[in-house]
Parts: sequence; C-alpha cells; structure tokens
Amino acid sequence: MSALLENHIVELLQERNEKAISLLYENYSDTLYGVAYKVVKDEMLAQDVLQESFVKIWKKADSYDPTKAKLFTWLFRITRNTAIDKLRSSKTKTDKEIQIDVSDVYKLGIDGVNPDFIDMRENLNRIDSKYQIVLEALFFEGMTQQEASEELDIPLGTIKSRLKIGLRELRKIYVEPTILLFLINLIA
Amino acid sequence: MKEKIKIFLDTDLLEKYLLGITTDTETLQVERYIAMYPEVRKEYNELQENLEDFAKSYSLKAPEGLKEKILNRIKAQNTAKRKFINYAIAASFAAFLFAGASYFFYNQNRSLQEENSVVTNQIKILEADMKQRLEDVRNQFIVLNNPQTKKYTVMGNKKARDLKAVAYVNPVKKLSYINVQNLPHLQEGQCLQMWAEVNGKMINLGILKEVGNKDNLLAMPYADNAVGYITIEPEGGNETPTVDNIVANISF
Repeated sequence: MSALLENHIVELLQERNEKAISLLYENYSDTLYGVAYKVVKDEMLAQDVLQESFVKIWKKADSYDPTKAKLFTWLFRITRNTAIDKLRSSKTKTDKEIQIDVSDVYKLGIDGVNPDFIDMRENLNRIDSKYQIVLEALFFEGMTQQEASEELDIPLGTIKSRLKIGLRELRKIYVEPTILLFLINLIA
Repeated sequence: MKEKIKIFLDTDLLEKYLLGITTDTETLQVERYIAMYPEVRKEYNELQENLEDFAKSYSLKAPEGLKEKILNRIKAQNTAKRKFINYAIAASFAAFLFAGASYFFYNQNRSLQEENSVVTNQIKILEADMKQRLEDVRNQFIVLNNPQTKKYTVMGNKKARDLKAVAYVNPVKKLSYINVQNLPHLQEGQCLQMWAEVNGKMINLGILKEVGNKDNLLAMPYADNAVGYITIEPEGGNETPTVDNIVANISF
C-alpha cells in the first residue's frame, strides 16, 4: 500500500466521504476477509464479520489517529476483534463448533482464493510451523501470550521469542516478493 | 533507562496494543513508551509492518457482491443518520418553540392574574368607600333637610378667635354633625382636637385638619345633653382633653 494512497483514504475517511469505503474495500477487503475467515472458519460468518467491520470502520472513522497506528493496523484491529467477538457469540449460541475443523490446515478449495497470494502462503508454509502456530494463536485465536503458553504447552518466554523470531522470519520472506508483486501489479 | 525499556519490551503489552486489546491504562502506558523511546517506536513500527505482511499471507478473494452490500449498508446508515439528524433538529426546534411559547403564556397569564386581583381589590375598596360615602351623604342630607334640625354657630373664644364652625343637631334622629369653616392660626407643634362629652365620658373625635374638609360634615356621636369641645393639644393629639385649652364648646 503506497503511503500516498493511504493518506488519500485517511483524508476521505475524515471528510466522511463514502468513497473512502470503496477505496478501502478495493485495497484491503481480500486481506481483511482472509483474517475474518481465519478466525471464524466459516464463509457466511466471515462475510458478516467483514460487513460489520466496514460499518464499524465507517462509524469510528473520526477516532482513527494516523500518528498512533498505520491504517492497516487500525483496520486489522477492528476486523480481528469483530471476528473474535462473532466467534464467541456464535459459540455460545451453539455447540456445533466441535464439528469445525480445528486443524490449522487451510481450506484451499474455497472458490476464489486470490492467486496473487498463493505464493505468499507457500512462503508462509516455509516458516517453521512452530513459529506459525504461535503467530496464529496470538493473531487469530484471540489468545494472550499467557493463554497460548498454557494451550500450546510452551513456556511463556518461548512464546515471546517465537513471536518475535516468527515475525522477523516472515519479514525476510516477504520483503522481496511483495516488492516484486507490486511491480507486477503496476505493469498489469 | 535501557533496563526499563527492555522490561517493557519483554512484556506482551506492545503486542496487545498492536492488536487493540489493551485496557485503557495499558494503552496510555504503551503510548507513552512509544512517544518517549525511539527503540520502542522502532519495535512498534516493525510489528505493524510484520502484522500487515502476516495478515496478507492469509488473503482470500472476498465474495462477489459483498462490496455492494457493504456500500449499501453504509449509504442506508448515512441516510438514516441524516434523516434522524433532520428529525432531531426539527423536534428540538419545535420543543424549543413550545417551551418558549409556554413560558411566554405562563408569564402573561400570571401577570394578568395579578392585575386581575389588584383590580378586583380596588373595585371592592371603591365599592366599600362609595357605600360609606353614600351612607354619610344620606345621613347628612337627612339631618340637614330635617325641619327639626337645629343649627348652631360655633365661635372660638379669645384663645382662638379665628375658629368658625357650624354644628347641626337633630334630636329626633339622634344625629349630629359639625362643619369646620375656619381654623385659627396655631403655634408650631399644636393642633386642634375635638371631643364630645357623652354621659360624663370624654370621647376623642379626632384632630381637625386645616385643609380639605371645609365642605365636609364631621359626624359626632349623639347623646342627650351632650357637649362638644374643641381644644388646643400638642401635635398628634392627646388622650384626654386639656381643659385649660378649650377654645370652643358646642352644647346642644
């Protein structure tokens, strides 16, 4: 995401221009939908989450402070937390979640997996799964580091270091491909 | 100081802040650290970059039509909000107008009520006054017009040569009046007071005022063989007449 476009979207948001939502959707919906799906593991629920998140984004546009967080961080917080709330309320409604596949294997068969990102996922799979499990537990399962430590039976200190190293590993893998991808998109 | 930063970074506060799940106090603490220490700021920015990359790796094509749904919802919300705001403005304007009008009418009603009670009181007083005067005038007329009424001219003695008064007495109707025509010039601090001796008791009939009652008849209590006196008394009147200062007597 270019800083220029990000600034433009932020300006539109603060002017309460509906075009901001259009631009946000074009640029972030796939990522945010992926986040929502990763948390709730259900297409219909993920769609609900995305809708609710965008409504919240629009409602809370005034409270977004660019000096405190990047635009994506803010969007991610809203979507992730909406998804976790949704998951909790749907879990209390029904006990069917036992049937939900709890393995971290991603359902690639879903229609419309963005081919642009398949490379990335392959790259992600290259990160040692011990890091990936920690990252997913913290980012998508709504666990605190303490909870992840208990759940995964890993000492808290190890959780912390795996989080940091995992994010660093990710960075190494992504920096180059994303630039490449950006250039490909530009040409296309 | 370095130690403090290290301890801070070892907690998961920064990661919790990244995810937006810190409490209000934690948020303040983290924001203070980010603002104060470049190391913390660098770490936070890196976390943000990493988070974006990490999240992107989970990207999924959002279903067709979802964008339209979302845009419609936001449009609907905006129009609903605008409508609500318009209604709210109209309602508060109406309420304000109503409150203003109510206050105005309440005030007007109250002042009219006050005015009304004042006027009613005045009418009552006037009525009573008028009855009193009418009664007086009728009695005076009866006395003056009655053939049996006797007229006495009252003159002051040497102490008050200027005093002139006329007394009307009707023994049949048992009414008597006095009309003071002229008052003598008195020294400072003195006044003329009238008395009537009825059955051996002296009754105070009041102080004679100089102006305004030339044409007025002053009623006096009637009794057989009553005697009226006018005395000079200290200003304000006296409780009992000063016998030495009798300037006139009226015997019927």
